[in-house]
Order: sequence, then C-alpha cells, then structure tokens
Amino acid sequence: MHGTQTVESPVDIRWPDGYAAVPKEVFYRADVYRLELERIFYGPQWHPIGHAAEIPNKGDFKTFRIGEAPVLLTRGDDGIARVLVNSCAHRGTQVETRSRGNATRLVCPYHRWLYDTSGKLLACPGIERFPKEFRKEDHSLRELRSTSFRGLIFATFSDDTPPIEQYLGPVGDTLGKILRDGRLGLLGYQKSRFNTNWKEYNDNEGYHAPLLHQAFRLMEWQGGEGAGIATPGGHFGIEASLRENMRKDFLSDPSLVEFRDKSAPPRSLTVALFPITVMVKHVDVVNLRFAFPVSPDETEVHYAYFHYADDKAEMVRHRLRQSSNFLGPSGFVSLEDGAVFNRLHVGSHAPGTICFQAGVQSYDEPADAITAQNDEAGNLMKWEYYRQVMGFERAGA
Amino acid sequence: MREPELIARTDALQVSYAAALDSRDMARWLGCFAAEASYICTHRESDEQGLKLALMMDDCAERLRDRVKFITEVWAGTFEDYWTRHFIQRLDHRIRDDGLLEVTSNFSVFYTTADGRSSVLAVGRYEDEVIATDSDDGAKFRSRRAIIDTSTLPRYLVYPL
Repeated sequence: MHGTQTVESPVDIRWPDGYAAVPKEVFYRADVYRLELERIFYGPQWHPIGHAAEIPNKGDFKTFRIGEAPVLLTRGDDGIARVLVNSCAHRGTQVETRSRGNATRLVCPYHRWLYDTSGKLLACPGIERFPKEFRKEDHSLRELRSTSFRGLIFATFSDDTPPIEQYLGPVGDTLGKILRDGRLGLLGYQKSRFNTNWKEYNDNEGYHAPLLHQAFRLMEWQGGEGAGIATPGGHFGIEASLRENMRKDFLSDPSLVEFRDKSAPPRSLTVALFPITVMVKHVDVVNLRFAFPVSPDETEVHYAYFHYADDKAEMVRHRLRQSSNFLGPSGFVSLEDGAVFNRLHVGSHAPGTICFQAGVQSYDEPADAITAQNDEAGNLMKWEYYRQVMGFERAGA
Repeated sequence: MREPELIARTDALQVSYAAALDSRDMARWLGCFAAEASYICTHRESDEQGLKLALMMDDCAERLRDRVKFITEVWAGTFEDYWTRHFIQRLDHRIRDDGLLEVTSNFSVFYTTADGRSSVLAVGRYEDEVIATDSDDGAKFRSRRAIIDTSTLPRYLVYPL
C-alpha cells in the first residue's frame, strides 16, 4: 500500500483537515466499502434487525442483512428471539429465502440438513457416511450475539461490542420515547432501494433540509423548536416540538397530518444510529427504517411501521392511514429525500470534498450538541468516529 | 347492462387510465375514479401476510384529490422525474348482483429516467371494482388495488401505478 498511510488502514484515503469536510471518494470506492464491511458491519457495532412485534409467535421469522451477510431473526419454540446467520452450516447455502413467515423447522434444500427454530441441527441425511469425528452439536446455524432494547432486537458479529445501553449512550432516551415500553404491533412495510451509498443515506435520512421539503413550507409547518445530541459513537438523536397551527385547509383529508395521540407531547423524534439505521416518530407515525448496503452504490431500506399495543382500534386505523401516505419512500413529506440520495451519489463521483455548515460552531472540533432541528452539525461526530474506525489519517495530523 | 357492453367500457377505462399516467395527466387519472372511490397500492407480500399498510392508501375521494395535489403542487420540481409505460392485460371478471364488475388484470410498468435508461418499475395485478356511468356511456373505478409483486421497488414512486 501507499507509504503516506498509517499502518492502521490498508486503504489510501486523504482525509481533509478540519472536522466539517468529508472526501467524496469514500462514497463510491470499492476498497473503502470492503473495509467498511469488515470493520463496521462485521465489527463491534450493534445492528437493529427487527422488533419483537415483527415475530410475535413461536416459529415466526424475518430475514435481513447485516452488511451483505444474510441473517435470520427467529422466535424459537422456547419463545426466545435469536439472530442466526442464514447460511447452512454444511455448504453455506442460504437456508430461508422468504422475507417473513412462520416455520416449525428450517430446512436447507441442498442436502436436507434440518434445523429447529433455534438453529440447532436435528438431522442430516447420509450421516452414516460422514467422518466419525462429525458431531451434530458442532454444526448448528451460527447464532450471533444479540440483545434487546424495548423490544428492538440488535445483533453483532463481534464479541467486543459493549452493552446496548452503553452503546446507545444518551440517544437511548430518545429511542425510548419512540419505542415506549416496547410493546408494539406491526402495521406493515414499504421497501425501496436507493442508488446511493449507505453513508449518504444515513447522513440525510435523519437530517431534513427545510428548503427541500415543500410540504412543510406549504403548510406553514416549519420552525418548531428542536434540540438534540450527537454521541462519540456516531449516533444522533433530535427531539423537536411540532407546531399544531399549520394550514390544515391545505389538504382535503387533513387526517394525514393530524396529531391524535395525546398521551405524549406533540414532538417529532429522530434517532440515527451508527452505522445506518434511522428511526423516527413523527405525528402519529412510528417508523423503524431497517437498512443495509447492497453495494457501494446501492442501499436497501425496509420502512417498518408500528402502532402501540394499547392503542384503541380507531387509533390503529389512524396510524395505518397516516403511515401509508406520510413518511415513506413515496410519502407526502418525504418523497424528495429519495431524489437527494440519488443525486448526492452521482455528485460524489466528482473530485473533492463535501462540507457541513449549518450549526457548525468551528471547523476545529466536532460539536456534540444540535441546537436546531435542521442543523448539519450532528453529522460531524459521526464522521470523526468513522474516520477513526477506518484508520484514515487527517491531513496535517 | 349486458356483459359485453360492460366489459368493453371497462377495457376503455383501462386504456384511459394507462394513457393518463403515461402522459402524466393527473386530472385525467382522477377522472377514472367514481365520486366515491379508493385507490390502494401495496406490496403483494404485505397483502399475503395480512398487513394493511400500503405504499399509497387513497381510500376516499379526498385522498384521491390530495394525491393529485402532492404530484402537481407539493413535489413539483423536487423529484427526479421519470416516464412510465403501462401494459395491462385483463385476466378475469365477474358481474356482481349489484351490477358492479369485479376485474382482475395483470400489469407491468416500465420507466425511463431523465438520462434515458429504461427498466421495470413494478409488475403486479389490479383488483378492481368498476361501475358503469350513465352520463357518458363510460365506466369508472369504484376501487382499484394495485398489488405489486415487486417486493423491493427500484426507486421511490412519484406517480400511482
């Protein structure tokens, strides 16, 4: 590798001086992406895989990815939720292909290896011709370390990932306000791919440029007070009050923007976790956005929507109607995001750096406080953490 | 109304619907629906799992009107535009006792980006309820459900399918 790099990174990236700039080449280079998979997605990070409400019954499962690795979230016959690697312990075949379902057993179609819903190998035809050293108990589906926070199930490939409360730090408070006591009901999914790098997705999915979203402007719905925090681990959380005196006459069906759940203050809550996941509660929409990179150039997002378990039927119906049209890939207030994701990625192929300005106090240090809802400052801590994890040396360091 | 007449009107409605979307004439799209009507676009896997959440849930006349407003006023100038071609094939139908026609059709929608790349946007089926109209010898959708097989969309949807 090139001599100017420290031994800490096998990838040659020239990081600019100052904390508010990021080199564009990290958004498309294949060598950077391979190192990200290794150090971040398969490294000491907790990755949200699903919520308990998505697999309420024994045998329920959901397939997902951590980075590019296929995983299987199951609820075993013992009622315990586990995250298994979705790859047969024999020849590595993907075991379950459906996105979600219920199964009493997991069967690999290739040689009919049979597992129970906890991943334990029960039977493998032709075992009489296996070497005498073969032991079924050595060939379960690999179970990843997992943990739960208010029903949200996280997994990690690493033994070094710290306990979840410590990992989340202060954004756990905001996440707790979204998930409440953890008893949720699943409303459904919207799924889309964006032609964007996963970091461009994460940078811009939680932060919302006021000039981009015309829905807010047309309804005179901007300017709510907001504050948030960015953590040294690269997460940020924002809580903003919502103005209720917007122009309701703008829509023929104003229920789309009505705040009917009076059991909590009218606030929008946003949590963006390192590396990729964004979770929001806006008006009465509870939306966990499970995402993974497909390649350096593509990101897939499963927008999962929930109601709270104690909601009355009328409130469930309201959340369902609001969630379908409000925040997703084709949502009233969010559709423009997709366009920006894609354009950011096209633009990143031009040489140079991107920069953050709004709310940034100084180029010399990353701030941990976000003082306005639309600040760009919240991105700085994350980028500094990313730079350190990737081992990219700063110019002038 | 005799069945062949109702089928003919329904096929004309399908053509008009496709022409409206492919020419991005949202007023004409809205005109394909009866005064009380609904349009729902959802993933097939959601439908099969009994999950009601949709990609677009315009389940009343007010929401159908708002859909047009999103596209022509709210989002105008902010999204990456694309051009669609709808291909629709009627598969099955049934006249109900109340005279309403239930129709199932396959659809495939191709899209072309501003820089001229064409791909499949979504494939799926329509489950429709069609009602004959007296005024113009035509027919309107009382409900249209676009149930897409495409479990992960290749891009965000601006226009209904």
